[in-house]
Amino acid sequence: MHRYVLPIFLLVIAACGQKSEAPGADAPKALNVGEKSAVAGPIKIGFINSITGPEAPIGENLTNGALLAVEDLKAAGVTVELVKQDDLGKPQVAMSAMEQLVTGDEVTAILGPYTSANSNAVAKLAQQYKVPQLIPVASKDEITRQGHTYVFRLNAVSTQYARSLIDAAFSFGKPKSIAFIYESADFGTSVSTAGKLYAKEKGLEIVADETYQKGAPDYRSTLSKIKAANPDLVFMVSYVADAILIMRQSREVGLSPQAFLGGGAGFETAQFESEKDISTNVFSVTQWTPGMDWPGAAEFAQRYQAKFGKKPTYHAACTYASLMLLGDTASKVKGDREKLREALATQSWKGIVGDVKFENYDGFTQQNRHEMAVIQYQNGAGTVVYPAQRAKAKAVYPFPGWK
Amino acid sequence: MQMFFQAAISGILMGGVYALIGIGLTLIFGVMQVINFAHGDLVMVGMYAAWLLFSHFHVDPFVSILLTGPLLFLLGALLQRAFIQRVIGEAQENQILLTIGLGLLLSNTAMLAFTSDYQLLTTSYSSKAFTVAGVSMSVPLFFAFIVTMLVALALYLFLMKTDTGAAIRATAQDREAAQLMGINVTRMSVLAFGLGSSLAGIAGALIAPTYYIFPQVGHAFTLKSFVIVVLGGMGSVVGASIGGVLIGMVESLAALYLASGLKEAVVFALFLLLLLFRPSGLLGRART
Repeated sequence: MHRYVLPIFLLVIAACGQKSEAPGADAPKALNVGEKSAVAGPIKIGFINSITGPEAPIGENLTNGALLAVEDLKAAGVTVELVKQDDLGKPQVAMSAMEQLVTGDEVTAILGPYTSANSNAVAKLAQQYKVPQLIPVASKDEITRQGHTYVFRLNAVSTQYARSLIDAAFSFGKPKSIAFIYESADFGTSVSTAGKLYAKEKGLEIVADETYQKGAPDYRSTLSKIKAANPDLVFMVSYVADAILIMRQSREVGLSPQAFLGGGAGFETAQFESEKDISTNVFSVTQWTPGMDWPGAAEFAQRYQAKFGKKPTYHAACTYASLMLLGDTASKVKGDREKLREALATQSWKGIVGDVKFENYDGFTQQNRHEMAVIQYQNGAGTVVYPAQRAKAKAVYPFPGWK
Repeated sequence: MQMFFQAAISGILMGGVYALIGIGLTLIFGVMQVINFAHGDLVMVGMYAAWLLFSHFHVDPFVSILLTGPLLFLLGALLQRAFIQRVIGEAQENQILLTIGLGLLLSNTAMLAFTSDYQLLTTSYSSKAFTVAGVSMSVPLFFAFIVTMLVALALYLFLMKTDTGAAIRATAQDREAAQLMGINVTRMSVLAFGLGSSLAGIAGALIAPTYYIFPQVGHAFTLKSFVIVVLGGMGSVVGASIGGVLIGMVESLAALYLASGLKEAVVFALFLLLLLFRPSGLLGRART
């Protein structure tokens, strides 16, 4: 046994020697940086995202936003090493990615994942491993309602999607009934469940409640059923492609309520916007648009367009804003997980998504009270029409009918 | 009642396209006894071909089937000659693995070439509809249905009235006997696979204006066409046509009378019931 002692001893010495010499010591070692003016090493941040798989088209926006943030942080003197992990859109993969990042790569903090289901799964691990996690876009309410002290969320929760849209409709007119059509996974059900509760609170009669499987090509019979129920408002929650199909087929079957309310995601993409025939006069709610006068938002949109050749979505902007504040704060605390958690819980920031502060309210913990914008597609562009003080144009209400 | 007709009509129109995909799969199975799990991916290739021709050369998708059809025929013939031919008569798991692998190859190549972004082929008539007696019909889907019927009719005539068609049918009935009668069964297999792919490609091009295009779009169609083929009777072209329209209608009516989230479940429940009571499918021959 003791013949191993010497080599191990030597190894330890060698390791210690290396440690004190290395100028770019990373996260945990950076603790003793205070004693001399060593250059802070790169801050390691784990980034879990849906890089491949069915959510990849949206995941790409998160990646782009994060890339831009890494560049800007570098320009500001903060070197962030982004350790990327692909979750394929599956919670179990996200969880193993999380374990790899926390125990293998020893990252200071976690950014992401994209989807609600994955964020929720990872949040439990963040709490268990005591690693700060900042969620940029996942909206399911529950994630920040479990008292996790290491989980922070920048974007507004699902409940807010529905509240903003229905509030907007009431500010434009006097709707009496509402129909819901939504995809049957986490995002669709959570936004519409919140919508149904709020609709009841507001005295709206729910005349139809229809789910569908993502990827189905034919919604015509469901839409004619809704048409027969004759609702004042049609509330839809969909991803990219199904949003366009639903509107196309609504036009086909001649569904024409007072307002089409699109609950985010698929209804606020550049692709939806470009389909003028079917997007005109549709309302949507968004976490972010350059049309909201937040500092640097318009400039961010220009730079993003120049670099990636497409318009930034809210996913890109929220991820950018998240990483900017996360990177900056993590570098100020020298990559210490505990101090970072404290700093995130107490400080506040200004950025392209407005003011950010993680607060406890209404049963939510460490949740940013993000202000959402209700937009309406007018002349092929999403224009802010609510809240009134930020509105850029008057809303077209009621829906004038199909051409 | 009007809602019933509305749902039934849109179901039938959608079912026409399903039928075309199913016919291709059943043809391939009939001749080679190989289940082509890459079939949906061939539909995807057809969609991308139509999309490329439309976005770069402004060829209307209904015109471009004149190109996508032959193109997919060549691709199918090539796949059959290079890969499928080698597993005819081999263990079924080998055939399944091979065709699934080919499908993955196709969808991942598409992802490499076109990224996984959703592409939309928006023609001037993509969301147009006309109304007959209060029932609205999607213009592109209506024309797709007509083209489907014409293609199915042409295929039927080809199989029934020509010598080559008879040779294909003979190969499907009994490969060895056909070979003994002097039929070049290898050539017939290439032809059948080519035709099957061509039908899948045409179906892809036809629904491109009403659907959305992404590399993994084929998986849903593979599963659906498999159900259609089993429902109609493995290898039966007429059975696949009926099966396709039936599935389209069941989906549509289930969405109307039950719940739209349940329509797939209803399809599969019916499918299981049918397998219980008629294991060989609607028009299938009982296998000995």
